[in-house]
Amino acid sequence: MILDFIISKYNFWLYVIIMMIGLYAMLAKRNLVKKLIGMNIFQTAIILFYVSIGVKKGNVNVPIIVGSHGHESQIIHAADYLNPLPHVLMLTAIVVSIATTGVALAVLIQIYRRYHTLDEDEIIQIKQSRQETGV
Amino acid sequence: MKTIILIFVIISGSLLIYGTMDMPAWGDPQSPANSYVSPRYIEEALEKTNTPNIVTAVLADYRGFDTMGEVTVIFTAAIACILILRRKFSDNWESVRK
Repeated sequence: MILDFIISKYNFWLYVIIMMIGLYAMLAKRNLVKKLIGMNIFQTAIILFYVSIGVKKGNVNVPIIVGSHGHESQIIHAADYLNPLPHVLMLTAIVVSIATTGVALAVLIQIYRRYHTLDEDEIIQIKQSRQETGV
Repeated sequence: MKTIILIFVIISGSLLIYGTMDMPAWGDPQSPANSYVSPRYIEEALEKTNTPNIVTAVLADYRGFDTMGEVTVIFTAAIACILILRRKFSDNWESVRK
């Protein structure tokens, strides 16, 4: 009984653990690159969660219809194929995550060129001292 | 500070795990996500779009405009990267720093 419950839910718990690792990295780390990697881990956990929603147990195929070329009028049962909609939506999410990661890395390169460090506290210190000296 | 963050992370993680108690079981073919909208796509995609791969059919036919918007997102990201990384600005900043 309790084992059935654990087997039916443990994948969600694993994704929550991965997501919390990402959240902790985003909040607690002071290096900006580590914060960015934390955000990526967070997004990966969400993608895994959505893809796992579309899983059907049993004798099912990936959502590609077998032997469709040539005979178009075959009857397709929805129970024989995995749910394709989470896959499609997560393709969109992957595209957005790649775009945000790319822009964030470009901003980090520019921050490093300007301050010669990526540590949050050091950047704030340098910024304050530059403002005081008026440079 | 780190202990406060750790406590916050543990609390939000346990709230999320509490939320999974209401989720359908993993791999359940009768779960709401698998039983309401997706059977229609699986059964009609081949007939309507003539594409055996259902993911491709949904991405490029049913949601074609959404994919075009994605291309806009990628294009905007590329333009933003080029503008941020242009050598001209960083040279100015270097001269300001010295």
